[in-house]
Amino acid sequence: MGRRRDRKKKKHRDGEIPVGSFSDIAFLLIVYFLVATTLVKVKGVSVDMPSGEESSNASDNDKTPTVMMKGAEIYFKDKPITFDELMVRLDALNLKEAEGQEKVIMLESTDETSYQDYYKVMAAISKKGGVIALVEVEE
Amino acid sequence: MARKKKERRKSEVPIASMGDIAFLLIIFFLLLSEFNKDKPVELVLPTSASVEKNKEKPIARVDIDENGIIYVDGNEVSDSQAVTDLLLVKLDKTLSDKQRHVQLKCHMALGKGQFEPVLQAIAEAGGIIDAVGEKNE
Repeated sequence: MGRRRDRKKKKHRDGEIPVGSFSDIAFLLIVYFLVATTLVKVKGVSVDMPSGEESSNASDNDKTPTVMMKGAEIYFKDKPITFDELMVRLDALNLKEAEGQEKVIMLESTDETSYQDYYKVMAAISKKGGVIALVEVEE
Repeated sequence: MARKKKERRKSEVPIASMGDIAFLLIIFFLLLSEFNKDKPVELVLPTSASVEKNKEKPIARVDIDENGIIYVDGNEVSDSQAVTDLLLVKLDKTLSDKQRHVQLKCHMALGKGQFEPVLQAIAEAGGIIDAVGEKNE
């Protein structure tokens, strides 16, 4: 069997890549990213709580202001106050200028306190520049 | 006076660079976008007038739904101790303060017994809590 010597010469085709639809593809991708991107930032409060320090000695915390929550009621240094009064008291403490231990506000709550009420107070203390320390009552 | 007739020019818009512009826009969105990693946990967020936009990117996301079930990065965990354990792995001691933010989403009606152990767990692991809420004017 002999090889065919008279092969057909291959035609030289134009080696151009069709780029006409590139922009269409690109704009489709843009639309996809526009839809998938979340530009909305989450809102909230940043709370840096001290950890790992437990003190059973009440005298250590005598000078530290304590906010007590019984349900939706707020007590500041054992006196019942409204939320607006709490804001005024926190302003008076000038927590943003304070340093170290003076920034600390003890936050105590009872079982019937909902997260909504707790959050409101926690956000207020945090906004005024306070550092929240949780009070855990041992049973 | 006889006016000269204006010659009509060909009004073609140059579109050759449209593809380049489009791809530049794609690169911009690719770099800018952050895909939503939150798994949908049904909860109603608390409201406060003191909330602000969270500036830092959280290293972990903790959710507590209306039944008190805790999720860390969308995965259900057994209790607050598991939250501490998982966060301790993520919150390496070499991290800066900016990298220690932990996002907390909690249902507004939950009681102290359900949310406070989680707050303590995050604090114990060394995280800064970004408690998510809605703006209340």
